[in-house]
Amino acid sequence: MPIRAKSQSLALAKSSKRRPPAALRAQQPADALALSVFMQMKRAAAVVDHDGRLLLSNSVFDELFGAEGGNAMLARINGEAGRNAGKTSRQERFPNGRTFEIETFPVDQGWLIAAGDVTDHLAGQARAAEAARTDGITGLGNRLMFREQLTRLLHNPDSAAATVALLVVDLDRFKALNASLGRKVGDALLGLVGKRIRSAVAAGDTVARLEADKFGIIQVGQPQPQSADALAIRLVDLIGRAYLCDGQLINVAGSIGVVLPSPGAQDCDHLLKNADLALGRAKKDGHGSYRFFEAEMDERMQARRHLEIDLRRALALREFVLVYQPQVNLRTNTVTGFEALLRWQCPTRGAVSPLDFIPLAEETGVIIPIGEWVLRTACREAAKWSPAHIVAVNVSAVQFGNPNLVSTIISALAESGLDPRRLELEITESVMLDARGTAHAVLQVLRTMGVRVALDDFGTGYSSLGYLRSFPFDKIKIDQSFVRGTSNDPVGAAIVRAIAELGQSLGMATVAEGVETADQLARVASDGCTEVQGYYFSRPMAPDQIESYLSTRNRTNLL
Amino acid sequence: MHSQLYRLVYFSKNRIVGGPAAITVEIDSILRSSQRNNTRMDITGALIFNTGIFAQVLEGPRDSVEATFEKIQQDVRHSDVQVLAFDATDQRAFARWSMGYFGRSRESQDLFGHIAAATGFTTAGLEGARIFEIIRDIAFEEEGRAA
Repeated sequence: MPIRAKSQSLALAKSSKRRPPAALRAQQPADALALSVFMQMKRAAAVVDHDGRLLLSNSVFDELFGAEGGNAMLARINGEAGRNAGKTSRQERFPNGRTFEIETFPVDQGWLIAAGDVTDHLAGQARAAEAARTDGITGLGNRLMFREQLTRLLHNPDSAAATVALLVVDLDRFKALNASLGRKVGDALLGLVGKRIRSAVAAGDTVARLEADKFGIIQVGQPQPQSADALAIRLVDLIGRAYLCDGQLINVAGSIGVVLPSPGAQDCDHLLKNADLALGRAKKDGHGSYRFFEAEMDERMQARRHLEIDLRRALALREFVLVYQPQVNLRTNTVTGFEALLRWQCPTRGAVSPLDFIPLAEETGVIIPIGEWVLRTACREAAKWSPAHIVAVNVSAVQFGNPNLVSTIISALAESGLDPRRLELEITESVMLDARGTAHAVLQVLRTMGVRVALDDFGTGYSSLGYLRSFPFDKIKIDQSFVRGTSNDPVGAAIVRAIAELGQSLGMATVAEGVETADQLARVASDGCTEVQGYYFSRPMAPDQIESYLSTRNRTNLL
Repeated sequence: MHSQLYRLVYFSKNRIVGGPAAITVEIDSILRSSQRNNTRMDITGALIFNTGIFAQVLEGPRDSVEATFEKIQQDVRHSDVQVLAFDATDQRAFARWSMGYFGRSRESQDLFGHIAAATGFTTAGLEGARIFEIIRDIAFEEEGRAA
């Protein structure tokens, strides 16, 4: 209810309205102008003396505060102004529900008071703050709201950490669904998922959509971990139930990562990161799984991160070396060439197995500069050898995805002066699996330059015979798993024989890898392999050992 | 607002826990809330249940069927919902919504046999009879398996 001026209140104000007291009466035109502005301004304005008496007020002031409420306000303001020598400003909520911003300025006669109704402005601000924290698609909170809520909780000494759980939910294959059903249905589905999550949590819990198809839940005031466990089970079930949306039947599954804040945990981002790690593990477990975060997950990620850091600088610090393993032609008993193999001697880790760092290098793309170094180094080294020997270099699918591969090879050959026919690229079928088919075109270009191409690890993976038809490989390398077991493994022997025959029919050389014993050598020879590679002939050797290896071998053969 | 007529057929596992008294309370609650909501949502159909499963036909405007199904999915009294059909249709096969017990248990028959009569359990026309037969068969078949 608006406060209306009462005739009997503020007698002074009433008289002053008609005629300002002498002290304030206009002496100069400028004063007259100021007075006129004062009287007509839209803000409520008044002048009170040091004793709190009202000397002058404009009509807006009288309209708003010309009642008991006004007196009470004046008393309060005087008290406060007396303590504060300078300008003051504060917000005051009045019994009629309106909020005013009240400013006081010291003037010669006492205080100038100006007040404006900020109720609508504040409500607008509150609405904007609410909107900035609301997800438009689901009506739930958004990431900002979620992080604020979580931070508040973690910093509140009253909230027992032992009763809090953080869950992140991610829909499996949502991107594909969104693409096939359309954005509108995708959004509607997110809305339904949000409602289902809301229906499964307690009233005091927080639910927000964090990004795309990822939701976050803060469970509070429940015994842990059993409550988070029960909620995760319920959510996996609930989210995985069929949806009817836009006239369609839709099935999705949700994966969940759960983290329980350790006592004293205050870092919201750290918690969210751990929840994501648990979520990642749940997704690996398959559709509709949930996992609790374990410190070991973090340790593994940290270990990976440190390995990546070391790996990234290993090249600059010249920690890589190439070693070379000979390949021997069984018919002529001569060395045809060497496979270049990458070794990493890390000062802190010691020798790191390629099995440990190559996958990470491929995943992070570090394989591109490392692979380039391998190509250039191997070409440079091989250029020093007898022209009879080729050098085989492994090139990964990731390198084939790099548009610069061909120019890198051309440049490596040109710099070293190596005959392109003496460079052999060993590729696995993963290179042939690329969806765009660019690898095939790259191989054709390299082939016209004279570069040789070998298919590595044949017999494992899909080993599609289609690859053999799609590209005329120079060589098929038979995976060592079939070679090693040949002494008491008739199936392995049969496979080696079949591949060797296939190679012969297609005019491709066949190399048996991993030959370690004379027995294995005899078998792969009788199975029809044209070349062998393995410890039986030599371990991989440093480049400076190649010359003596070859001369020793020649001497021995001559005897 | 989509008012195209749709028909949904599903069945699910009965997860009501407790003895006959608890079950009676829950079945009664399902019956009353369904009658109330379905009238309001312009939904017709039939709900068949026994101690093992629920099987239900819901017909009505698409939005009503979708909203009702969403509510059903969030109900903890059942699980493993299998949707058998969700299609647009020209006309209703059920003139009203009704509920009935179809199972082998004598005890349950005594407890819930009256519900069919009370809800005027009925089918309309050949299509209604055919669908009813399907869900009744499912109910009998799944009763032992789910329990």
